[in-house]
Amino acid sequence: MSLVIEQLSKYYPDGTVALADISFEVPPGQFCVILGRSGAGKSTLLKCINGLAIPSEGRVMVDDVELTPRTLRHIRPHIGMIHQSFNLVPRASVATNVLAGALPAISTPRAMLGLFPKILRDKACALIADIGLGEEHLRRRVADLSGGQQQRVGIARAFMLNPAYVLADEPVASLDPQTSVDILELLEREAKESGTTVLCSLHQIDLALRFADRIIALRAGRILFDGTPEMLTRSQLDQIYETRQPAPCPAAQEVGA
Amino acid sequence: MNGTGTEDTGRPSTNWSFPRPFGWRTVLVIAIAIMILFRTGADVGIGPALIQSGEGVAAGIGLVEESQVANGFGAILGQMFPPQIADVTEISRIPGFDYGHLPLFAHVETQMVTVQSLDPETMRMTPHSMKREVLVEPYGYVRQVAGKLIETLEIALWGTLLAVLIGAPLAFLGARNLSPHPLLVVLSRGIVSLLRTVPELISALFLVLAYGFGPAAGVLALALHAAGFLGKFYAEDIENADPGPQQALKAIGANRMKLLRYAILPQVLPQYVAYTLYILDRNVRMATVIGLVGAGGIGLELKGRYDLYQYAHVGTILIAIFILVFVLDQLSAWLRRRSM
Repeated sequence: MSLVIEQLSKYYPDGTVALADISFEVPPGQFCVILGRSGAGKSTLLKCINGLAIPSEGRVMVDDVELTPRTLRHIRPHIGMIHQSFNLVPRASVATNVLAGALPAISTPRAMLGLFPKILRDKACALIADIGLGEEHLRRRVADLSGGQQQRVGIARAFMLNPAYVLADEPVASLDPQTSVDILELLEREAKESGTTVLCSLHQIDLALRFADRIIALRAGRILFDGTPEMLTRSQLDQIYETRQPAPCPAAQEVGA
Repeated sequence: MNGTGTEDTGRPSTNWSFPRPFGWRTVLVIAIAIMILFRTGADVGIGPALIQSGEGVAAGIGLVEESQVANGFGAILGQMFPPQIADVTEISRIPGFDYGHLPLFAHVETQMVTVQSLDPETMRMTPHSMKREVLVEPYGYVRQVAGKLIETLEIALWGTLLAVLIGAPLAFLGARNLSPHPLLVVLSRGIVSLLRTVPELISALFLVLAYGFGPAAGVLALALHAAGFLGKFYAEDIENADPGPQQALKAIGANRMKLLRYAILPQVLPQYVAYTLYILDRNVRMATVIGLVGAGGIGLELKGRYDLYQYAHVGTILIAIFILVFVLDQLSAWLRRRSM
């Protein structure tokens, strides 16, 4: 019962290599941080795990089942996802947004009528209380919440179906440092309570060192480091973020043009 | 020179050619546009129309004696006002009339009318007076028009409802990001375009032949055209909806219908309400027109009165239509504010 990535590669038609020969295994309950600069392939890696992106080569095994277009439908409900830009419906209420996380568990006709069974409604309320919002927030539109509160709602949605795995794609990229710490603490707490495995991509080293059980560092689509935060050395850190052989930086090109 | 912004700041001069606001291309386009306007203007007779309008205005303020436009308008407007309020019916034409039970506010009047009739002895038309009893309902015609207006509204309402019921599924199949199959996208878009191509008045002509005179043909005519409009605009909104929430629900394995209901509809609902209200508004206006070809509603009444040269009745009908459209405008503005 674990997540296994085997020799995963992802190329784009224009020749860009997003991921090159990535292999690792994540044991249950681990808080694994994918660390790297923007464009290192973190997001693509996470999307390959729940089929939002299709790998060019290699395979993903979730609990000993290979991820294919056939198995996708059965695997996806076990993988919660938290998004960089929250991906909530701003006009819908907090309650509806959280309940939407349980959509695979109910029949389509029930979903159309918005008839979620009591057990799911209770679960949603418990989660909303857990993330620090109150009963008065249930009916409030997500658009009226702060960024931090919105990501809390995103976390509640991801945990609706007691997922075995949660993929968090830069969950705190648009939040201030203190809120980022609060959000990651919440994510860590929820995951520990339910024994959920977390794969969380980050670009902030301090947050990675603080929250990770294990860090996988990516650079240009390749694994540069895989180990506990304690094993990560100063020079390896420099390598992750180095600009020694600078690929031409887009900003510099613009100025030059 | 200080503060004018033109002083030399010491930066090196570039000698760049700065893009000009317009060049010869613009001049050419404008010249072609003017030529097209002249040619097409001559075709549609815009020149004489402008001259006639000018004459009409001049006649209105007393500068000119005669004007065809002013005379035309004057003749009709003069007969339209005051608009017809009462309804007068000859009692002998009402079968089974009961003097003991008059309609509300109504009363019976005796009128002297002069009738021409043939004198059998002289073989000439001779005028002679005769008494005639009429039933006068002081607000009778207003009530009739109100009844027709309600029928018109009902046609518009059902036309809109059916348009939503036809247009929404077509939109779901025709939106590229939601449709189950690319072929269905093409098919549904084809149907939607076809529906939009046929104007209500034309389809009403045929539907009257198929369904007979009356509101049913009108409802269908309005519904089919509006479904083409809604099918296109609903679909475009689905395609333009923020993909974020859709991706989030797709990631946990929600199917198409659930995506639509929980990720797309909440986003597009205000726009959908706006489109639908626009269609309702348009359908009310069109419902007044399609009566002209026999598809029910107030247009039928309008056409009948116009053909009988009863312009006072026409005046009442036009005022009624104006009030209806105005009230509906206010209502839809209020609804739109609430749905935001």
